[in-house]
Amino acid sequence: MYGFEAMTFNIHGGYLEAIVRGHRAGLLTAADYNNLCQCETLDDIKMHLSATEYGPYLQNEPSPLHTTTIVEKCTLKLVDEYKHMLCQATEPLSTFLEYITYGHMIDNVVLIVTGTLHERDVQELLEKCHPLGMFDSIATLAVAQNMRELYRLVLVDTPLAPYFSECITSEDLDDMNIEIMRNTLYKAYLEDFYKFCQKLGGATAEIMSDLLAFEADRRAVNITINSIGTELTRDDRRKLYSNFGLLYPYGHEELAVCEDIDQVRAVMEKYPPYQSIFSKLSYGESQMLDKAFYEEEVKRLCLAFEQQFHYGVFFAYMRLREQEIRNLMWISECVAQNQKSRVHDSVVFIF
Amino acid sequence: MVVDHETPRLENGQTDKEVEENANVLQFMDSMDAYLTLIHSLSSTLRRGWLELASARHSMGASRVNTVLLDHTSHPAATSLLVTQDEGKVDSGKPHFTLCKWASSSNENSLLGEKQSSQDKLHPQLRHRGSTELYEEKTSSENKASREVDDPVQKERSKSLSMFGTLVSPKLRAAQLSFEH
Repeated sequence: MYGFEAMTFNIHGGYLEAIVRGHRAGLLTAADYNNLCQCETLDDIKMHLSATEYGPYLQNEPSPLHTTTIVEKCTLKLVDEYKHMLCQATEPLSTFLEYITYGHMIDNVVLIVTGTLHERDVQELLEKCHPLGMFDSIATLAVAQNMRELYRLVLVDTPLAPYFSECITSEDLDDMNIEIMRNTLYKAYLEDFYKFCQKLGGATAEIMSDLLAFEADRRAVNITINSIGTELTRDDRRKLYSNFGLLYPYGHEELAVCEDIDQVRAVMEKYPPYQSIFSKLSYGESQMLDKAFYEEEVKRLCLAFEQQFHYGVFFAYMRLREQEIRNLMWISECVAQNQKSRVHDSVVFIF
Repeated sequence: MVVDHETPRLENGQTDKEVEENANVLQFMDSMDAYLTLIHSLSSTLRRGWLELASARHSMGASRVNTVLLDHTSHPAATSLLVTQDEGKVDSGKPHFTLCKWASSSNENSLLGEKQSSQDKLHPQLRHRGSTELYEEKTSSENKASREVDDPVQKERSKSLSMFGTLVSPKLRAAQLSFEH
């Protein structure tokens, strides 16, 4: 019953909540980012990160460093922390933690299938997969010719199997079908995660509903903007939107017929939480939209830590770490390309 | 001192040969200046393109903008160079270079080449100055030709980007335009 988690949560979840709150304290601060933004080379970035929790992961990397190396090692730290939490978790927390990784699993499946279509080596593709989204039979994806085979040969034994019911066809895998498959899978995953959190109830349901609804709405906007000027029809676009969220269902109906960014803005400004996001952008511009959405997401994720005895802190921590890694990637790219004046275009401060 | 009485000298004391050499040097310097300006422009456009690509990677995620997604299947080049000689002059020694973009598409003629020839036909503004009405007719015809050229070009652009997925971020499209320029 909501409100009584304080009596029972710590029996099974107390240790891990303490662990994740400790990890949260290790997130980079604005002072850290200011130091990083003043670095001249990637070795300087490595030197500054050696004083943080990323230090042990980067200290043995030889020079010259590459931006992808920095991102890989920082991701490795997140993976180690996640695996430690997963192996200590009991049900239903363990299922909740697994749900967090299904998005990466979908990305990996699409990466392997797309890379195979482009005649790339499977080993090369496996090296680029996100470690949080790996599963045993992932390499077998390369032999599938269509979605039916993809499901029958590989995915039927993975957690993604239930999400395939809406996109199993015998059509060959081409670029458009793969894109539709990606978005259909992600839609099904988000809806399933949402239902799972609702079933958990209590503070977890309340906090995760808000976070997942925001994710669904952001996806709807991105799908709309990215599909402007493409062959994706309005009906197909509408089918890719999730069936929950603040924009569901009337906002989705309006977004489905948008033909440019200003029409998207007109739709979104009817919803007060998103009015503040779009007010930061000038008309006709969409470059800063990602940063505006990330800033709003970080604000909501940080608020999740204000309440105790719920699983939302685990989801929030994973997402905040991923944002941190994105920040480090952007700073590294600006330093490597000698474009430090643009470094604040995409860095989102967490604290 | 030996004075060359055979070679006729100009008023400033230079010979024809020296004048020609000076003209060649000046032409070389002008060409070098144009070359350096182009290099600078190329360098700044490429810098912008690389940053936009990094921005697209930041936006879409590393799994969607990745070197392993580059297409290794055999496909024709997006841009080719057409070299022709002057018509009617077999040994002119001066070749014409035309960049043909998206020449590998279903259109056998180069789309940019068509655009150039259509522009030449419709807009010879340096040779013939017509009335305002004539100019408006030419402008509307030119716009129609541009729109007809732009749609296949847009399709080819989308086809090139499709290796990263069909629904790509506007930042990736901006990066493509920078590299295309």
